[in-house]
Amino acid sequence: MLQKALKVSGRSAFPLAKWMERWTEGASAKSQALRTLDDMPGPSVASFAWDLFARRGLSRLHEIQLEGVQRYGPMWKASFGPILTVHVADPALIEQVLRQEGQHPMRSDLSSWKDYRKARGHHYGLLTSEGEEWQSVRSLLGKHMLRPKAVEAYDKTLNGVVSDLIAKLRLRRRSRGLVSDIASEFYRFGLEGISSVLFESRIGCLDEVVPEETERFIQSINTMFVMTLLTMAMPKWLHQLFPKPWNVFCRCWDYMFDFARGHIDQRLTAEAEKVARGEEVEGRYLTYFLSRTGLPIKTVYSNVTELLLAGVDTIASTMTWSLYELSRHPEVQASLRDEMLSVLEGRSIPEAKDVARMPLLKATVKEVLRLYPVIPANARVITETDIQVGGYLLPKNTLITLCHFATSRDPAVFTNPDEFQPHRWLNKDRTHHPYASVPFGVGKRSCIGRRIAELELYLALTRILTEFDVKPDPEGISVKPMTRTLLVPENVINLQFIER
Amino acid sequence: MAFVTALRRLAHVRLREYSWRTAAVTSGAWLTSQRSFTSSSPSLRSDNKVTINFVNRDGEKITVKGSPGDSLLDIVINEDLDFDGFGACEGTLACSTCHLIFDEDTYKSLGPVTDEEMDMLDLAYGLTDTSRLGCQICLTKSLEGVVARVPESVADIRQSKDESS
Repeated sequence: MLQKALKVSGRSAFPLAKWMERWTEGASAKSQALRTLDDMPGPSVASFAWDLFARRGLSRLHEIQLEGVQRYGPMWKASFGPILTVHVADPALIEQVLRQEGQHPMRSDLSSWKDYRKARGHHYGLLTSEGEEWQSVRSLLGKHMLRPKAVEAYDKTLNGVVSDLIAKLRLRRRSRGLVSDIASEFYRFGLEGISSVLFESRIGCLDEVVPEETERFIQSINTMFVMTLLTMAMPKWLHQLFPKPWNVFCRCWDYMFDFARGHIDQRLTAEAEKVARGEEVEGRYLTYFLSRTGLPIKTVYSNVTELLLAGVDTIASTMTWSLYELSRHPEVQASLRDEMLSVLEGRSIPEAKDVARMPLLKATVKEVLRLYPVIPANARVITETDIQVGGYLLPKNTLITLCHFATSRDPAVFTNPDEFQPHRWLNKDRTHHPYASVPFGVGKRSCIGRRIAELELYLALTRILTEFDVKPDPEGISVKPMTRTLLVPENVINLQFIER
Repeated sequence: MAFVTALRRLAHVRLREYSWRTAAVTSGAWLTSQRSFTSSSPSLRSDNKVTINFVNRDGEKITVKGSPGDSLLDIVINEDLDFDGFGACEGTLACSTCHLIFDEDTYKSLGPVTDEEMDMLDLAYGLTDTSRLGCQICLTKSLEGVVARVPESVADIRQSKDESS
């Protein structure tokens, strides 16, 4: 009945969701009211597989979230290849899941990423390790990557990378200031940024001639993300029939691991030589912290590989969407520039502490990540105990998919959900559910690069907008997102960068 | 040469820190046995200490002392206070489990809240107008005798319902 009520109301009017939350909490006293997975609606295995493979479903997974909500309400089950997963697409229910994630939250126990590492004898990194192994590295890196004071210390390093980005954009400008395929430049910017933080040295992604190995690294990340979904959706027997996706997937990872190992070895060798010569070594970079802890070198390799890849698409897509939306909303761009110029008071390079006085800039990034959450769906597996969510009893080890794209575009939560309106985040009496848009995740397993990424975005956007007027390509079209494990622009985006 | 020795010593300390930490993890007492999240040198002079009163989820008052510069989360850890699930992200501003509630006057004296803390507080269970995150409040002499209440968690509410049924 509740299910029906939700559907009729156009789903999850906020008070109703609140009421439901209370209702489900109350329901623990009378467990006979709990429903089981058998009672949960969802598409048949065949029809979902048809959607995925025949209807380009893998690249439309974010849209399939919206269709699922329409058809089944806030919770439904579906078989993603061999894996049964419960979709949760309501902010209050996502909150319920995350509050029960336990001491060592797990994203997924079945994953092609883990299979690859096992097959090659690599160690796990932060994205793939679990339990106490994960906790020890998370605690170590969290100190250096998330604490506000630690993050501020990266502003000089990142500003150096931003200066190169500005120079590169100038170099790439053609007639009327048009830069084609801005995302490609932001991929290089992302890789250069995360490398500078990891190695405290530069790898030349933003040079006039880009080193071939960095282009190949970026290409490997992209292909690996495409293959991630495909290899997971394919049942085992299909892998035997079509071995290509798995082989391509492995080759991409091989290249990424080699790339990271090469840079780590190079950096640590240089360091050792310096020490041998009695020179001063000042380590402020993450690889240094990792290598000094007594962790096996294989663990250092896998962690650096995973941190590198996590800092590329994420930054690139968010930068691209930010400038795309700002170019189409000149009035927002103008207010944002006013805010930046008044804080900078004549200086050209922003510092970390300046950003604290730029509320519209922060609101803009929040709004971009609400519209285009880089991770459109996240997942949790609760291994310790059965949990209750939305009146259902989910047995332990159930894979739960958190449908962040659906909640952040939910008209019952955000008015005009498809409109770019950064000012909605500045309204102090905002009423939207706090778990409706959580692009970095929440809690101890949330994005470890969050604060560095935010700083990188703030510093880059400030420099770009104070140096250029950003305008849409006069021949441009409106661009939609597509899923490639991560959410990325479906088409190439060109923009005009007019000198101010 | 002196520098090399210093570097070795540094590496040594870090190594020791790591192996100690690993031991703590293995014993399954990660949070309660870790010393301090922010590195501050503990003051030996007790007259420098600041008294803090925590009110736990059962309403009991627990009075402890901390050093200026320590965060309220540090004190909970250092004093081994058993507030279930408190400080899950170890003071990295990634969760809101070190949520504390103050009276209005104290809240005003705690100083401004950053946007980042505010965003995390929004996600806290049982948020009030005078809520703060313990990891972001550093002790000063002026906080002498302050009262910080640990709010109920979702688990508490479930438990009490189970018991009453």
